[in-house]
Amino acid sequence: MEYLLHIFVLAGIYTILTLSLNLIVGFTGLPALGHAAFSCIGAYTSCLLALNMGLSPWIGLLIGAVIAAFSGLVVGYPAVRLKGDYFALATFGLGVIVYSVAKNWVGLTRGPMGLPGIPGFSFFGFPLSEIWSYLLVVLVFAAITIFVTKRIVHSPFGRVLRSIREDELASQALGKDTTKHKILVFVIGAFFAGIAGSLYAHYITFIDPSSFTVMESITILLMVIFGGMGSISGSIVGAGTLVLFPELLRFLGMPSSIAGPMRQMIYGLLLVVLMLKRPQGIMGTYRFK
Amino acid sequence: MFQQLIFNAIISGSIYALIAIGFTVIYKTVKFFHLAHGVVYTAGAYFAYTFLSWLSPQFNNSPAPTAFSFFLPIVLASVVGIGIDRFIYYPLRKQQASNLIFLLASFGVFIFLQNLIQLIYGAQILSIRTGPIKEGHHFLGAVITDVQLTIFFVSVILMLLLWFFIQRTKFGKAIRAVSDDPVAANVVGINPEKVILISFAIGSALAGAAGILISFETNIEPTMGFGALLKGVIASIVGGIGNIPGAVLGGFFLGLVENLGIWKISAGWKDCIAFVILIIFLLVRPWGILGTKTEKETI
Repeated sequence: MEYLLHIFVLAGIYTILTLSLNLIVGFTGLPALGHAAFSCIGAYTSCLLALNMGLSPWIGLLIGAVIAAFSGLVVGYPAVRLKGDYFALATFGLGVIVYSVAKNWVGLTRGPMGLPGIPGFSFFGFPLSEIWSYLLVVLVFAAITIFVTKRIVHSPFGRVLRSIREDELASQALGKDTTKHKILVFVIGAFFAGIAGSLYAHYITFIDPSSFTVMESITILLMVIFGGMGSISGSIVGAGTLVLFPELLRFLGMPSSIAGPMRQMIYGLLLVVLMLKRPQGIMGTYRFK
Repeated sequence: MFQQLIFNAIISGSIYALIAIGFTVIYKTVKFFHLAHGVVYTAGAYFAYTFLSWLSPQFNNSPAPTAFSFFLPIVLASVVGIGIDRFIYYPLRKQQASNLIFLLASFGVFIFLQNLIQLIYGAQILSIRTGPIKEGHHFLGAVITDVQLTIFFVSVILMLLLWFFIQRTKFGKAIRAVSDDPVAANVVGINPEKVILISFAIGSALAGAAGILISFETNIEPTMGFGALLKGVIASIVGGIGNIPGAVLGGFFLGLVENLGIWKISAGWKDCIAFVILIIFLLVRPWGILGTKTEKETI
């Protein structure tokens, strides 16, 4: 039961990540390949504040998300001017840079040794040590993310995002500042990724750079594409399925030295098959142009 | 110290340049980022490891099978590249898929094959090197080993051969024609599919050769392709995408900046330095060192 709840917590966190990336990739058509970088920034900010300054994780979570959003602004401002492949490469580069900073700036992040003993959340003095109570917290955040994403998508702002995705030139011709919209959606995505990162860190109570590799970013992107580009329910399905699925390998009794590469092989194969057969995903409405 | 750094920069630069020119030959005809190029490089190294550890001892390490163990992996790497093109890219071309779909599919292939290699050989570090390590030659205040000299000269020979092939042969001309205008090339009777096949064969053979060369210098591991891929792609863009002399220049430039960089800070920052260079170039001079400014339209 504990185990099942643990899977649900992870699924909830990945739902937040997938939805926030879907805003950027599926709804706006920006191929971002470095989303884990933002959750890395959020997680490390919140953990370092909690460990070094004794700040409450709740405040840390918020500050972490704000810092992640700010780095989204710094990166997004120049990056959104690049087209297609080059945007993908630049965000990919961001993923590698943030990962290598987390790994090499040993003075701040303790590098590959990671940060142990991260305090968990507490609610008005009651520590949320039971896993079901943590699941509740994650579900609340996931619900907030779903709600906010829905509101964004159905707002005039969201319509501009989709118009950028379909035909950026036409939307510029209608007087929309597409660059500003693209930067803004990048910042919003980074904000929620930051939240997901610190939720993960305070749950596992240990982080190291290996949780935020480029492969992690690709996994999140795979969830977006698998579930459906530009589909909110698709993202929930995508995150849920791809979190649950590798756990099945464990039930088949594979040793971890085989299950690890096997899982990645299946992810790689799934990405190829999706690109060949259904690039918009199960419930998607958009394929990369 | 400084001379040593320059030598190291030239050695790693020649490997980067070799990966970058293979990547560029493929890019010229297909015009998308073939990210699975990195895993072809890894495959080359592992093929060489397999043949050297299995074939050569059967013949008491006599020179002929050993030479064969170098030649065969290059052919096999080439076959892997052609296979990726035939089974993945060809159907995508039929669907007229966008560049991003190609890019993601090729990354999927990369992940799949890299983990397949890990599943077969295990995640541990392997070494091709046999026998004792010889001391290097002292030259201009730096130490350079036989292996490093081999890497440098073989790379330069391969670069010159490629240059000759592209500029002086009929196939090379066809590659340039398809690169400039695939439709017009088709009109004058060049089969683009055939040209793409040749470019994958040559590009992948070069990646395989780079993988084999580096496996004599350092240890091999399944994840080695990722860093190599990044360096190859970055060198190609920095030099001017689709430009072969540019890719060579980009490779040496990257080797130089990296080695000067880790002189001052730790070696763990290598990938970071490479990407910072890429991002600076994308922002300031996206058409690369040797590219022309008109190509900015596509970026």
